[in-house]
Amino acid sequence: MRIKVNKKKCSGCRLCETMCSLFHGRAVNTEKSAIRIEKDDLDTSMNTPFVCRQCKNMACLEGEKVAPDAERRKFIWAGQRSGKCPFRALNLFKGKSYHCDLCGGNPQCVKVCTTGALVVSRPKLASVRLSEVSVEKRGNDEPH
Amino acid sequence: MVLDRKIAYVDLSDGSYEIRKIPMAWRKKFLGGRGINMRLLSKSYASIPDPFSPHNPLIFGAGLLSGLPGFGARMNITSRSPESGHLGDSNMGGEFGAELVKTGLSHLVITGKSKKPVYLFIKDGRIDFCDARKLKGLDTIATQKRIRAQRGDPNVQVACIGPAGEALVRFSAIRSGMKSAAGRTGIGAVMGSKNLKAVAVRGTLDIGISKPEEYRKYYLRTLKGVMKTKWLQALGKQGTPVLFRYSNALGFLSVRNNQLVTIGDKGPLLEAEALEPYSTGMVACFGCPVHCRHRISIEKGEYKGTRGEGPEYASIGSLGTKVGHFDLENIIYATQLCNLYGLDTISTGSYMAWAMELYQRGIIDERTTKIPLKWGDGETIVELLDQIAQRRGFGDILAEGSFARGILGEESRNYLLEVKDFPIEMTDERLPKSFALGMATSTRGACHMRSRPSIDAVGLPEAVLEKMYGGRVSERLSSYMGKARMVWWHELLNAVSDSLGVCRFQSVFSSPHGLGHPHFSRLLDLATGLHFTPMEIKRTGERIYTLERLMITGEGISRSEDTLPERYFEEPIPEGPSKGEVVSREEFSRMLDEYYRLHGWDEEGIPKKKTLDRLGLSNEN
Repeated sequence: MRIKVNKKKCSGCRLCETMCSLFHGRAVNTEKSAIRIEKDDLDTSMNTPFVCRQCKNMACLEGEKVAPDAERRKFIWAGQRSGKCPFRALNLFKGKSYHCDLCGGNPQCVKVCTTGALVVSRPKLASVRLSEVSVEKRGNDEPH
Repeated sequence: MVLDRKIAYVDLSDGSYEIRKIPMAWRKKFLGGRGINMRLLSKSYASIPDPFSPHNPLIFGAGLLSGLPGFGARMNITSRSPESGHLGDSNMGGEFGAELVKTGLSHLVITGKSKKPVYLFIKDGRIDFCDARKLKGLDTIATQKRIRAQRGDPNVQVACIGPAGEALVRFSAIRSGMKSAAGRTGIGAVMGSKNLKAVAVRGTLDIGISKPEEYRKYYLRTLKGVMKTKWLQALGKQGTPVLFRYSNALGFLSVRNNQLVTIGDKGPLLEAEALEPYSTGMVACFGCPVHCRHRISIEKGEYKGTRGEGPEYASIGSLGTKVGHFDLENIIYATQLCNLYGLDTISTGSYMAWAMELYQRGIIDERTTKIPLKWGDGETIVELLDQIAQRRGFGDILAEGSFARGILGEESRNYLLEVKDFPIEMTDERLPKSFALGMATSTRGACHMRSRPSIDAVGLPEAVLEKMYGGRVSERLSSYMGKARMVWWHELLNAVSDSLGVCRFQSVFSSPHGLGHPHFSRLLDLATGLHFTPMEIKRTGERIYTLERLMITGEGISRSEDTLPERYFEEPIPEGPSKGEVVSREEFSRMLDEYYRLHGWDEEGIPKKKTLDRLGLSNEN
């Protein structure tokens, strides 16, 4: 499971950032969101969402002796991992990087994305099995 | 926490500032955004008659819920208006309001005048006064880019003026991003008069929420409900230009300065579908699920390379039909020029249309204008725009807005369609009587957005309208019945949505299923812990609106100013689907009586003492 991005559809509303931080941090702070919208708002208005692609081979953990599956479930990571992500998908703020833990299997950003720029992708040949991320599942009470 | 946001009092004359808490009593009475702006302005309004006085406060106020997962993150900028001379207030979307609240501030009260051009940079509650000499003369996009480059941070949000604001054009806007504008009432010129080129903000602070989990769940439920409405779905696809076809078909557009009200079968030239070839997608304000703004790009032809966002229906009407013009590419270009210069598109089109009618009637001629002012001539429109922004030639006169009546002579007064010295917009209200009354009573002068009472236009049965408004309201646009009640009801609702930072499009605006008092009550409780019943929320709107009314009645505005242009009373619409429509003075007067009664104002429109007591305003002004 991962969050698939279609940047052409992104309106740049940043509701995803607000919801991500609210869900994980119980306060709103777009700086502390695992999803980030990069905007070219004074030129083309093109908006590009950046969020963890849930890579099978995690370049972000290179050189570390940690269990990748356990790391996948964590939201706040050490800051230095941010620079190792080839997709610039780890948001760095004040020495911490913010990693998409898929909200325990119920991604909040997707729920507020009214354009369909963010969708949940569940590949048939799962590179990441749902069971790997569904621990600590919470908040499945909202209508989809 | 949301309620901990503060006010910065900035004095540009000596480069000092002071940050103060917002008293809880103010929050309870006025919420935030527009409400608290009015509380702040009301203290000095009567003592500062000159909008260009350094003492005239320029007040920025973000909505109380701005920055949260919500329904926009809007803000108001408020001052004494250089355009009308009266109450100045403009509501702006985009990102600025959300970024401001992340600094820990929600309001700025800027007074004084800087000796040199300056801009403010606000980072997490600290304010720097920065040299803006090198920004002088830059357009609004270049200004924002330069400030972001200077700060080395692409996430800095900037509200700035362009050359028009620097030149004190009386209808200058404050602009942010590609297109967001606090456009109406000329507050960009107030900023110019203070030698303040821009306010830049960057915030990184947490916004604490009273009941975060409950807020999140309630927000998701509410979002789903609101987004189901046909109105928001249409708006998300076509933006406000979706309204053009409707206005044209029913006959309430302004065409040639309201000499006509429809362009008939030429409508498709300017309808939403005509914009599609230029649109490269839809974009949203911060925290808004609707995304009603077109990204625009003109790829070929005379205006090749024009890029921006918009135009809105208001700009298509004001820079299009109002000046007798149907060339959409030229309208897009003119809109973008206004945005770059920092001019309000609505007022710019309105004063041009006024001048064109004066020219048509021979009241002014080329001795004054130097160029022929022909209806619908794209080159003339662009040339006039340049002249206004740069205060060149005839543009220097038009840049005075309604004050130009004093220059263009007594007869010119008859053709400037205005209310309280503020021009009528892109529409003609002789058909929809609710809009007509709303224009007449709006606290900032002619304005369709202060009330925007349009539910009678969507074909709901009268039983539904009666339930909604608590009294009988006719479903017919041209009827006077119950329209005073509609205007009153929406004035109160919009005062609240502006104070919360919620976009009006998502409130009860063009759909009865939009956000209303019960939603606001719940959102406030979960976000802030402030408990308001829906009725108390409504009363808060009443308090804010009545405080605005107190300011303007305090300077002599009353019933005789709550009126409409003579054309609306005297000239029946000459042709088209609304042919023959006119506003009856007697019926209008009856609507006013009813409207005042609902507000608790006397027959002259002055708030009664018992109303002030009931609203807790007796000691506020």
